[in-house]
Amino acid sequence: MSWLRNPWGRPRVLGLMTVLYILWSVTPVAIAILFAFNNGRSRTTWQGFSFKWFTGSVGSVFHDPALQGALKHTLLLAAICVALATPLGVSLALGLQRWRGRGGGTVNTLMLFPLVTPEIVMGVALLLLFLRVFPGIGLGTEAQVIGQVTFTLSYVVVMVRARLVSIGREYEEAAADLGAPPRDQLFRVLLPLLAPAIIASAAITFALSIDDFVVTQYLSSDASTTTVSMLLYSSARGAPTPALNAIATVALLITLATLALAFLVYRRFAGGRDATAVAALEV
Amino acid sequence: MQGEVRLEELTKKFGDVVAVDGIDVQMPPGEFFTMLGPSGCGKTTTLRMIAGFERPTAGRILLDETDVAQVPAHRRNVNTVFQSYALFPHLDVAGNVAFGLKYRRLTKQEQRLQVKEVLELVQLAGFERRKASQLSGGQQQRVALARALVLAPRVLLLDEPLGALDARLRRDLQVELKALQRDIGVTFVFVTHDQEEALTMSDRVAVMRDGRVEQAGSPREVYEEPRTMFVADFLGVSNLLEVDAVGEEHSRCVLRLGDRTFLAEQGETDARGKLKAMIRPERIGVEPHGAPGDNRLPGMVERAVFLGGSYEIHVRVLGGEMLKVAMTNEGNPLTFGLEQGTPVTLYLPPDALRVLRPDPEPDAGDEEGQTAPAAVA
Ligand SMILES: Nc1ncnc2c1ncn2[C@@H]1O[C@H](COP(=O)(O)OP(=O)(O)OP(=O)(O)O)[C@@H](O)[C@H]1O
Ligand SMILES: [Mg+2]
Repeated sequence: MSWLRNPWGRPRVLGLMTVLYILWSVTPVAIAILFAFNNGRSRTTWQGFSFKWFTGSVGSVFHDPALQGALKHTLLLAAICVALATPLGVSLALGLQRWRGRGGGTVNTLMLFPLVTPEIVMGVALLLLFLRVFPGIGLGTEAQVIGQVTFTLSYVVVMVRARLVSIGREYEEAAADLGAPPRDQLFRVLLPLLAPAIIASAAITFALSIDDFVVTQYLSSDASTTTVSMLLYSSARGAPTPALNAIATVALLITLATLALAFLVYRRFAGGRDATAVAALEV
Repeated sequence: MQGEVRLEELTKKFGDVVAVDGIDVQMPPGEFFTMLGPSGCGKTTTLRMIAGFERPTAGRILLDETDVAQVPAHRRNVNTVFQSYALFPHLDVAGNVAFGLKYRRLTKQEQRLQVKEVLELVQLAGFERRKASQLSGGQQQRVALARALVLAPRVLLLDEPLGALDARLRRDLQVELKALQRDIGVTFVFVTHDQEEALTMSDRVAVMRDGRVEQAGSPREVYEEPRTMFVADFLGVSNLLEVDAVGEEHSRCVLRLGDRTFLAEQGETDARGKLKAMIRPERIGVEPHGAPGDNRLPGMVERAVFLGGSYEIHVRVLGGEMLKVAMTNEGNPLTFGLEQGTPVTLYLPPDALRVLRPDPEPDAGDEEGQTAPAAVA
């Protein structure tokens, strides 16, 4: 490996490895997307290009009530989850930041728990919780929302806190110095400065919610609470048509679009400085 | 006129650390007051207490006779220029400057006018729409200044506002800042650890050490009449000689160093016994070897450093101590050489020789906890 000895040489081997890895990871996805546009019923043999599995009159995403219901439910869950987890997570992060007393460190560590707990463990735990402890809530949409908020909240808290730490207290002090009462220090200074982190964590919450399978599956009740990922899982072994690829494509596009949008907004706010940090966080 | 600040027994402890240890100072309205001291002596902490960011452990902060120690920062008519400026990155220059005007009852029109005026005052007219990140260090510093001044504070606090700038710009801004302060007549409380900056800009300087004010006075006073070795040393190079004070002659102190006798007019002239005498490098005269007269000390040149406007000459004198001598560069060649090893005679004029009271607590006095100060009988 010449680049080890010659620092000016191009790292050809590393470059090759990178290209191979990208091909390896992108190819299956690309093939899956490709077959969403297949003109036949097969998911393995190419029979010409068409949009029929998206818009066609039989069994397409737009006409199969099961597919459509799953897509709607997925988006609904994601929207509610973002709407709840983001403000909650921001408040928690702010609270933790101010909480300088004893126990702050412990709470901090506890906040990371949902990030490292295996999802299946959390799914089972939540299932038991709703069946035994809060049977009043029961399984279904509410339980799914609570479950998703539970684990996405940690991402919001961690990301917002990281930004809070890097912002420091100085801007708030400057605001106070110029006469801003605490409420204005928060709304006129701190929140605008946190905006990139808030937007990024909202986007990631959205993506996590759409992608989630385990927790959402455990807490679902009937067909009306089926999400895209659950549908993909259950029918992949049945008699799948390219409609499945089509809906997966739609879900993927929505996720990518959200992240791309968040990335752009973030870069505008943060002046491009730590935009790469979000790119790296992409799940 | 408003803007008098008085600190009484002001103390701040962070756990076991005593950051500020009972400060008593008074700043009359319109004064340019500087707190000068080494790193960690409590300058920033004192300033932050005046601003309202830290709550004093004890003591009072009187702003025009009102104790504000418990008043939160946003209700004090005091503004701060932060060392790192702390300009809001999400606002442009005009937004930054207008930030505090929102809390004054002003129309949009009046606000705009005031922003415009203050930006003219700091020579930044036309920069309204720039973001803080698009400004140079000196420009950012001016915006920070404008943002504070537009609120017409009674007192302006500045924590090493020039610390982040290069030497040249720093000197320009020192002059500008001083002129500005004189024009608007606002009380400035200025923090720096640069002695030259403190001396050139201030009406009064407080030299701080370990959370206390060691000496406060006009720049001339603290420079020419330092009361302790610490102050003498911190304000520029000072030469210390270990001498014996043996008597008095026409209210001058008679000092003995080896077989030489010196007269000193300055400082604690009635002190006796082993003590230190101080002299500034620029007050020492260099004469050819063997020059006759009192207050003269033979020595040997160790090296001569050319500094452009002056020479700094290191002379090893009788008794083994090294004295630094500053000689202005007058263009014409010196009448005698200053090569290493040249024997010379140093003249220490009586009116420049200062007898110092020994420090109450010697630096790093770790001689088995022997804290008893040298006897001054
Ligand atoms: N928030 C804090 N918690 C604990 N100790 C502190 C805190 N702030 C300051 N100190 C301590 O108080 C002392 C004085 O600090 P301060 O920042 O006032 O020094 P300074 O004179 O401004 O120094 P510098 O010239 O380095 O800025 C230092 O020993 C410092 O470690
Ligand atoms: Mg400081």
